[in-house]
Amino acid sequence: MEGSADQTTQAMSKLSMDPAPSSTAETGDGARSKNALKKELKMKQREEERKRKEEEKAKQAPKASSQKSVASSADDEDMDPTVYNSIQYYDLMQCSYKCCFCDLWQQYFENRLKYLAAEKAKGENPYPHKFAVSMSIPEYIEKYGGLNNGDHVEDAEVSLAGMIMSKRASSSKLFFYDLHGEDFKVQVMADASKSGLDEAEFSKLHANAKRGDIVGVTGFPGKTKRGELSIFPRSFILLSHCLHMMPRKADSVGAKKPENWVPGEPRNPEAYVLKDQESRYRQRYLDLMLNVEVRQIFKTRANIISYVRRFLDNQRFLEVETPMMNMIAGGAAARPFVTHHNDLDMKLYMRIAPELFLKQLIVGGLERVYEIGKQFRNEGIDLTHNPEFTTCEFYMAFADYNDLMKMTEDMLSGMVKELTGGYKIKYHANGYDKEPIEIDFTPPFRRIEMIGELEKVANLSIPKDLASEEANKYLIDACARFDVKCPPPQTTARLLDKLVGEFLEVTCVNPTFIINHPEIMSPLAKWHRSNDVLTERFELFINKHELCNAYTELNDPVVQRQRFADQLKDRQSGDDEAMALDETFCSALEYGLAPTGGWGLGIDRLAMLFTDSQNIKEVILFPAMRPQDDPASVKVEIKLQSTNKVPKEDESLLAGSEQTRLVLHKCSSESGEPTSTFNCSLCHFGTKSIDQFRKHLSTDEEHANEEMRLPASRKRSIKENRRSRVADFDRKGKRTKYASPGGS
Amino acid sequence: MEALKVWSLTASPLRQLLRLSSSSTAIYGRRSHHSSLMLRCASAASSSSSSNAATAETPKPSGRNRRAASSSNSTSDREAIRSIRLKKVEELRGQGVEPYAYKWEKSHSANQLQEIYKHLANGEELNDESDRVSIAGRVVARRAFGKLAFLTLRDESGTIQLYCEKERLSDDQFEQLKAFIDIGDILGASGSMKRTEKGELSICVSSFSILTKSLLPLPDKYHGLTDIDKRYRQRYVDMIANPEVADVFRKRAKIVSEIRKTVESSGYLEVETPVLQGAAGGAEARPFVTYHNSLGRDLYLRIATELHLKRMLVGGFEKVYEIGRIFRNEGLSTRHNPEFTTIEMYEAFSDYQSMMDMAELIVTGCAMAVNGKLTLDYQGTEICLERPWRRETMHNLVKEATGIDFSELGEDLGKAKDTVLVALQDVLEHKDKSGIGACSSLGHLLNEVFEVVVEPKLVQPTFVLDYPIEISPLAKPHRGNAGLTERFELFICGREMANAFSELTDPVDQRRRLEEQVRQHNAKRAAAAAETPEGKAKKDDDDDDESYEVTLDEDFLTALEYGMPPASGMGLGIDRLVMLLTNSASIRDVIAFPVLKPSPHIYASGSLKLEDTPPPPPPQVSSVVDDGDDDDQYVDAQVEEVVDHVDGLLNEVREEEGKEEDCALEEGQSNGEILKSSLKKETLDSEDGERREKKKKVQWVDLMGKELAEIREFESRLVY
Repeated sequence: MEGSADQTTQAMSKLSMDPAPSSTAETGDGARSKNALKKELKMKQREEERKRKEEEKAKQAPKASSQKSVASSADDEDMDPTVYNSIQYYDLMQCSYKCCFCDLWQQYFENRLKYLAAEKAKGENPYPHKFAVSMSIPEYIEKYGGLNNGDHVEDAEVSLAGMIMSKRASSSKLFFYDLHGEDFKVQVMADASKSGLDEAEFSKLHANAKRGDIVGVTGFPGKTKRGELSIFPRSFILLSHCLHMMPRKADSVGAKKPENWVPGEPRNPEAYVLKDQESRYRQRYLDLMLNVEVRQIFKTRANIISYVRRFLDNQRFLEVETPMMNMIAGGAAARPFVTHHNDLDMKLYMRIAPELFLKQLIVGGLERVYEIGKQFRNEGIDLTHNPEFTTCEFYMAFADYNDLMKMTEDMLSGMVKELTGGYKIKYHANGYDKEPIEIDFTPPFRRIEMIGELEKVANLSIPKDLASEEANKYLIDACARFDVKCPPPQTTARLLDKLVGEFLEVTCVNPTFIINHPEIMSPLAKWHRSNDVLTERFELFINKHELCNAYTELNDPVVQRQRFADQLKDRQSGDDEAMALDETFCSALEYGLAPTGGWGLGIDRLAMLFTDSQNIKEVILFPAMRPQDDPASVKVEIKLQSTNKVPKEDESLLAGSEQTRLVLHKCSSESGEPTSTFNCSLCHFGTKSIDQFRKHLSTDEEHANEEMRLPASRKRSIKENRRSRVADFDRKGKRTKYASPGGS
Repeated sequence: MEALKVWSLTASPLRQLLRLSSSSTAIYGRRSHHSSLMLRCASAASSSSSSNAATAETPKPSGRNRRAASSSNSTSDREAIRSIRLKKVEELRGQGVEPYAYKWEKSHSANQLQEIYKHLANGEELNDESDRVSIAGRVVARRAFGKLAFLTLRDESGTIQLYCEKERLSDDQFEQLKAFIDIGDILGASGSMKRTEKGELSICVSSFSILTKSLLPLPDKYHGLTDIDKRYRQRYVDMIANPEVADVFRKRAKIVSEIRKTVESSGYLEVETPVLQGAAGGAEARPFVTYHNSLGRDLYLRIATELHLKRMLVGGFEKVYEIGRIFRNEGLSTRHNPEFTTIEMYEAFSDYQSMMDMAELIVTGCAMAVNGKLTLDYQGTEICLERPWRRETMHNLVKEATGIDFSELGEDLGKAKDTVLVALQDVLEHKDKSGIGACSSLGHLLNEVFEVVVEPKLVQPTFVLDYPIEISPLAKPHRGNAGLTERFELFICGREMANAFSELTDPVDQRRRLEEQVRQHNAKRAAAAAETPEGKAKKDDDDDDESYEVTLDEDFLTALEYGMPPASGMGLGIDRLVMLLTNSASIRDVIAFPVLKPSPHIYASGSLKLEDTPPPPPPQVSSVVDDGDDDDQYVDAQVEEVVDHVDGLLNEVREEEGKEEDCALEEGQSNGEILKSSLKKETLDSEDGERREKKKKVQWVDLMGKELAEIREFESRLVY
């Protein structure tokens, strides 16, 4: 890699001039060249080629023909595949250093663009409209997998289409490809003698087929002598072109499903071809192309949803759709997204839960309804939180929480059974480097009383009247005693929640119901029939995370109003996650809500369990990511519009702890105000005075809360992203000729 | 029943006013007329029963009088009923009965019982232990005699009568029934089956339990909820009053499930793509903007799922679909709700021809699932969904309708416009003409002519093929005709149902076209910005349309550079399909909770309602109107008083107004109406704003859930 800077400049000049079509055969990539020998060999080859080309260039320089440049430099793909493991793939695309890799990268891209332009100039359409596929690759394997070695079925004609994941040239007349489609692969053995093309055409066609291209192949099936199921093409059509260098995929021999991961089994993302998380999540299509398991993850997710739907449909539930935008965000305690409807000129909130609407439908006489859909919460992003996530909620008239617990057991154990074949799943609860744990879904699940168990485990005796000052004091003391942190406001509900998290949730690895929450924690749940301080509610915890939340719904309108009023008090005391009152909902209750059991399930978290994922981003196709060109909170940026330089006093802020820096990032460039302002990106605090800003960082309570919520991953990424930050800065100076790919 | 007692208890200013005026005019018939004007509630029964204050206030247990009384309504009535029922709740609890039960085990639904026991002869009763049933539902009718009471219970499936005999019930249950059960309560009952002598299948109740005590009276079946606005704002009331409303939602569920079944059996995989996006692409529409606090950035709500689903194809999935919500920041109408549901589906290695087959398959499949036949009636028009559907190019359709052959018009846009204007002189309205003048290319012109002239005529299902390239930035150029794309839209009843293309897979071409789109948009925006200083008043309506930002989705373009297989994709509007198949006139009928304008209570005035009373108009009312000479004058006076009253209310804590709403649903029309109102908009606005601000502080927000229409007891409509 060292000599490559030189090489790059050379390569660039080669581009601008006229690279001759190279006849260097591609090295077979059957063996992944991690060994130094091979590298060395390549270096030598390149060196030789360079010399040769220089000579050629000298000869051909005057007659630069676009025709010829089409056949791009051949060694593009020779780039060492290990490159992708040494640098982040995504960085490669973004890179604006004059690093060797990114230049090669862009060179490749430009060559491909030129090739396309040339095709178009010739009047060819490089992107055909349709290719009639006669069977899918799995079907093909199914049908012809039984052939004997060496057998050919010359009278059959089959059309397959898929992506080239590997290409080997045995000579200019014989090429081998791995054609991938729907997790399966089949070999393509392209022989000039069977193609109906003359040799020059044939080799030109195949010189332009690159890894990552999508091709359609029509030919006859057969097996090679070594037993590889292949298709022998009579025609070979490029359907779409991969303009970028693709990381090389690990080779597995045999026309089988390359990897055999099934839901409930542990995964090993460390072994992926594309490992870098940023690239995987930002460019999910690459992840899907290169890492076979990933496609299975999303199929599993689809299966989970379809199982839930089937389960509920079978019990005569009706699937409904309720609004995602509303004038009030009710039904849960969370900070909503706010948007604005221009035409009506009104503020709308994205829903945080569909609960209140679904209950209105029960009032309206639909006895069993459910909705599977997105919810939105304006919260930080971490391993288990994405701003939009999918839940299933159902409501069932005339049922109570005991019925729902039974249903939950049936649904989840049935699902595990159907998807995995057994009741147990393996899960890397402690990271991929540790042994996976086993989670047992055999019903019935364990049930623990919240308050009773908490008193037992932590040896507490909590005052019976939880609404009292006394109880609040007692819990504050308890938290202090056990060193359980509860940032203000220290309401009794929040304190209890922290203690439960500390003492009970950690014990819930196998599915466990924590039941009978106190009333102050559950404003929408009905008081317990035998103890009116408690409610009839349960939460299902698996692997210490909450998965389900359900209760016998509160249907007494008077009590409901009272509870909302109490929440209002909490809101005024600073808990902005307390619920808002929804008048429509309250008056719906006054028309009479039948006794109803209500239930909610987090689909994403369930999908995480089944796919051995510790990060919610693994199970969301396009998770929310920090914008790349504004690594917002990781960038410490104090910008002055007028002077364009940081005054000394401001610089002193930069010297703060890492956490303090996190939040200090932006001056209002849009407002057009010539003075600098300091904006705290976490709590929207903005001021022109540096002293006030410092005060905000050090003493403001809300800010402290926000900072506490900052996920660990985000803090970590500061270091990781330092490089891209510099790159980002660089890029602003140096604009590439064509728009750089990937930046948004 | 309560309404009777309430009558004498009421003390609201409105009521007093009514009383005063009625005593001064002292004409009985007019009284009922008057209240009908005020409250738009006079039912046939109330006017015909020659009701007046005197009879109504005398609590005689006569059905007629009860009807008369129950037809009255106002906030205070409701408040009184509520407080009476709250008292009942207390009393019940005092007796150790919890009026909000936890659970009820029911053995059958009403419909099941009707089915199982349909052969029961009149007067026959089954006392076998195996014929003991239990059921739960809402009481929708109630008739009590000395030792016998009849209740009608309705659950999701239908209704059944409860036959309650004193001897059969334990202890004091019969007394409890008489004293505490009101219409609207949710009841669980068990007993044996019997058909009454009159032929009504009933449950002979041996025990019952109050499951939920309702506090508010149910709306009158025929008149209570003709108020469109209230129907949408309080869908649950609508559903209680009109059980058939729920059928639309049942059919909707069936349609969605049928679509899923169809596409999944063809091997499509369901995926979920993000709603919140950094750049909203895939369509041309104004997006909603929101802000993510911890990311510290603006996010857009998706306006299409297209670009993310195509990334899935790049990733190697060959058939994917998503049924999901789309958001567009546009005005409301009978065809537009800011959030709506679509299915978008993409299939690799296919083209738009095969998508046409898919569209036929889906729509006919849904029609069969819901209606069991392929012909349907939509708002009086018969539609035949028998395959195959007509497939015709846009050029031919335009030629057919106008005689203009666009393929012969040449390249000169100005000349083409002239040709069009001359040829269509008689057809075009002024608005259309200016639309044609604004067209920036031949493609836009063709589309404009198509939309104005051809679209409304496409009643039977028609695939319109081969749209001009200028208006189809994501479609692949046509393989045969330059300047066109391989795209179709499906029209049924003059409405676009689906939109599909052979997807553009060339990243270079795609980038150019999207950049062109952005450029055009920015030009429009700049033009709009330049105009605003002159016509500031206009700003809110037209120019504002373009004031949002459109950015390139670079990520998507990069994905295309990795190579997307040839593919076709289709988007199909589910709400419109449901409208078609359920014969619903408005999109609000097929969305359970549509977005509505903030309820404009204060705009409502009696006078507006007089001209616009929704059907069915009570015939007696009009006869009453005719008989009095001073009626008109009287009405006017009343209207003014109402206005005063409303203004008075504004100063009070915002209370529920049992008042008729001008729902202001359709922009154009209702705006006009509001402006015609004698109320000054500005003052109201400022008041409103003030109140909103106050509310914000307290966080006691509610703009939506006001009581908007009159509510009456069910009794008046009982038929045994």
